[in-house]
Amino acid sequence: MSVASFQHIAEIEKSPGYWAGVMRRFRRDPVAMIALFVVLALILMAVFAPLVAPADPYRASMLRRLRPIGTEGFPLGTDELGRDMLSRLIHGGRLSLLMGVTPVFIAFFIGSAIGITAGYLGGKVNSVLMRTIDVFFAFPSVLLAIALSGALGAGIFNGLLSLTVVFIPPIARIAESVTTAVRRIEYVEAARASGASSFTIVRVHVLGNVIGPVFVYATGLISVSLILASGLSFLGLGVKPPEPEWGLMLNTLRNAIYVQPWVAALPGLMIFITSISFNLLSDGLRSAMDIKS
Amino acid sequence: MTIESAALLQVNDLTKHFPLSGGFFGRSAGVVRAVDSISFEVAPGETLGIVGESGCGKSTTARLLVNLIEPDSGQVILEGKRVGADMSVRDMRRHMQMVFQDSYASLNPRLTMEDSIAFGPNVNGMARQKALALAHDLLFRVGLEPRRFAGRYPHELSGGQRQRVNIARALAFSPKIVILDEAVSALDKSVEAQVLNLLADLKKELALTYIFISHDLNVVRHMSDRVMVMYLGQVAEIGPVDSLYSSPAHPYTRALLAAMPSMDPDKRTMEAPLAGDPPNPINPPPGCRFHTRCKFAQDVCAKEQPVLHILPHAGHMAACHAHIPHSGHSGLEARA
Amino acid sequence: MLKYIAERILYTLPVAFGVSIVCFMLVHIAPGDPLTSILPPDASAQLQEEMRRIYGFDRPLPVQYGLWVLKVVQGDFGTSIATGRPVAMELGRALGNTLMLAVLATMIGFLFGGLFGFVAGYFRDSWVDRIASLISIVGVSVPHYWLGMVLVIIFSVQLNWLPATGAGPGGSADWVWDWAHVRHLILPAITMSVIPMGIVARTVRALVADILSQEFITGLRAKGLLDVGVFRHVVKNTAPTALAVMGLQLGYLLGGSILIETVFSWPGTGFLLGQAIFQRDLPLLQGAILTLAMIFVALNLLVDIVQSLLDPRVQRS
Repeated sequence: MSVASFQHIAEIEKSPGYWAGVMRRFRRDPVAMIALFVVLALILMAVFAPLVAPADPYRASMLRRLRPIGTEGFPLGTDELGRDMLSRLIHGGRLSLLMGVTPVFIAFFIGSAIGITAGYLGGKVNSVLMRTIDVFFAFPSVLLAIALSGALGAGIFNGLLSLTVVFIPPIARIAESVTTAVRRIEYVEAARASGASSFTIVRVHVLGNVIGPVFVYATGLISVSLILASGLSFLGLGVKPPEPEWGLMLNTLRNAIYVQPWVAALPGLMIFITSISFNLLSDGLRSAMDIKS
Repeated sequence: MTIESAALLQVNDLTKHFPLSGGFFGRSAGVVRAVDSISFEVAPGETLGIVGESGCGKSTTARLLVNLIEPDSGQVILEGKRVGADMSVRDMRRHMQMVFQDSYASLNPRLTMEDSIAFGPNVNGMARQKALALAHDLLFRVGLEPRRFAGRYPHELSGGQRQRVNIARALAFSPKIVILDEAVSALDKSVEAQVLNLLADLKKELALTYIFISHDLNVVRHMSDRVMVMYLGQVAEIGPVDSLYSSPAHPYTRALLAAMPSMDPDKRTMEAPLAGDPPNPINPPPGCRFHTRCKFAQDVCAKEQPVLHILPHAGHMAACHAHIPHSGHSGLEARA
Repeated sequence: MLKYIAERILYTLPVAFGVSIVCFMLVHIAPGDPLTSILPPDASAQLQEEMRRIYGFDRPLPVQYGLWVLKVVQGDFGTSIATGRPVAMELGRALGNTLMLAVLATMIGFLFGGLFGFVAGYFRDSWVDRIASLISIVGVSVPHYWLGMVLVIIFSVQLNWLPATGAGPGGSADWVWDWAHVRHLILPAITMSVIPMGIVARTVRALVADILSQEFITGLRAKGLLDVGVFRHVVKNTAPTALAVMGLQLGYLLGGSILIETVFSWPGTGFLLGQAIFQRDLPLLQGAILTLAMIFVALNLLVDIVQSLLDPRVQRS
């Protein structure tokens, strides 16, 4: 081809990319913005817990057990061992968020890898992978989490492991169905006709169009994961005392509902606020990524 | 035939049957005979038109040629070299590129136009900056100002503009053959004309060879040097465009042409257009596949499959018992 | 039709096989020797060897699995370490209690979820829709074990209207359909009903909105002709999907009742499971998980079959 080259790449008019549009739509959604603000605040609170918390979350005192909300020096009261509730709630965010978000995060990578492999290769590979996934899908998620961590025993690592196993199948299924759909679109055929390797096609053409929807789906699972993770600690699995963690705090304060009911309910309120914020954030992200709207 | 020795592309007995999955544990419940032992040749510099109703195997043929679908059997011979034996599939694709019908689905929504066009050369070893410069050249070639269009995303372009980009992408390899699979079918008539003119110009400038697939007989006549008519995965008739349009031999071709809208009332034939849908390609009828819809069908048509038979006009062949001497068919004029 | 049902059953078999393998492996992924949970920590090496042979832990895993399955299909789930009673017996008693709770909760959740979803879908984008959507997002976001605690605080601790725990007065084991027993059922059932409520509301809202946006209905609505016919059409078209959701939710509640049963000390399978975890009673844990998972698999199958009978289109997808 003998045509004078256009060497003015710097002058090319650039369109705002897809993600720029997503950001623009997301910023116009007040509910999603509030949810994002709450989530960020919770994360900052957890990260800087030692700086934010007014007291030592471990310091117990038999003399000031189960003080009500509004007690001087203990704005949210004290727990069954006389520890400052506010400080424990702030510190509790660390383990609760870690145990809720990490399994979804890891499962997002593993599940996407399985789903995209199965979806792009199809055939026998797909059958083997997806039928295995089906087996884990045959358990209600709560039951599977409890079965695995029940057998493995209490502990943060065992809890994380169990929850990760719980969230891989749903993510893999979504990734597989989106990939199968994308693989049949003509731009993937065009890429194959250009002689690109399967790996390159997946990297350039499949991943970018699959990972978005799968990511949104995964963010929707964070809320479930938070509730489940705290639920495991509530059952005595997962986090062990005396660590502050919302589910575990709810468990140890259960008998206190006859003495200081609203203090006992506080850790659950934190789980609820976190969970609903992640859900609203996920909903906002979903509608912002829907190119049709 | 003179073009035989000089064929750029030669296709021998190309066959693809799709297994129908279903039943217990994916046990095959039958096969779709999408493309059934077709053979043809394409001479350098010509345009071969392929026509037929939807489901006749036109698009499958296109995908088989560039190996997007693996053929069950048959040979694709490019410049005398057998693809898969004397020439790798990868090398073949550098010489033979394809443009698809759906201009939007053909472009990755997450890539800019320059990235879409540069992708192919890039993965074939061209440096990124060079590939982008090439993309800009190609955009200019297909009539899109690079400055304005290189950084755009597919949804910001019109259908005609997108199809120009798809053509540019196909040209990025400097191919010898471009397969246009219903490439203008989804466009508005006015836009279609512009893209067809572009294709004609490009063909002249770059000495291209086209395989032009369409269900629109007017467009095929306008574009092609020779035309191949397909019916249920087989070749019904093939010949030079003038000969085929003026004296169609196969009853199916006649019916297609009769159903073709014509501006000239004198040219309208009295022959009845095709009735009904083509039979199911899963269980095609025995004998001649067209006999269930053919008004000239006789006993032999249901029993024996007709082979392509050379007609008196140069390079014109048809698979119809009526034209094969001693076939047992009394001929088309007997009852018409 | 029969072919579809046969296919579905055949497809379920490998899944059930896989589920049984996962349950079998539960004992083997447990840290340490499975024997440590049975034997006292100071057991002699000879006794350990003896027990290992008796329990068959010295054989290769596939053989152990085969023997275990053989026993399970005969209804023998082993013996509970904590109580010494057969696991099957413990489970049988608890299963009835959980079933009662889950069925009631599904019905409540379905009634209100369906109502909210229908109203929201019917008056889409109105304030009613917003409120119904809010309720459904609260429903899917709330940690239900905490909701149970809050209800106990309000209705048992503060108002003293309903009992906080147990399934009958004085911890009586046998269920009777009288007020003294039924009042124990109210709080756990309401708490549990929140789980399917949000999901049912979302599903029904989407279905109703979709049907109402179909052109002929839009035409009818434009003419002000919104009568019983349209209503019936909507119900007829949402019913199969809603029913499928309901069946699956019942399965989830049966399998996921552990947290709520723990909060209310409701003597069901979940409570039993909680005890098994607490006491590291692995045979009981394994038996309970296997039973609940198999019930879930069977319910899935049942839902598919019923759905295909109601709506022939399902078979094609």
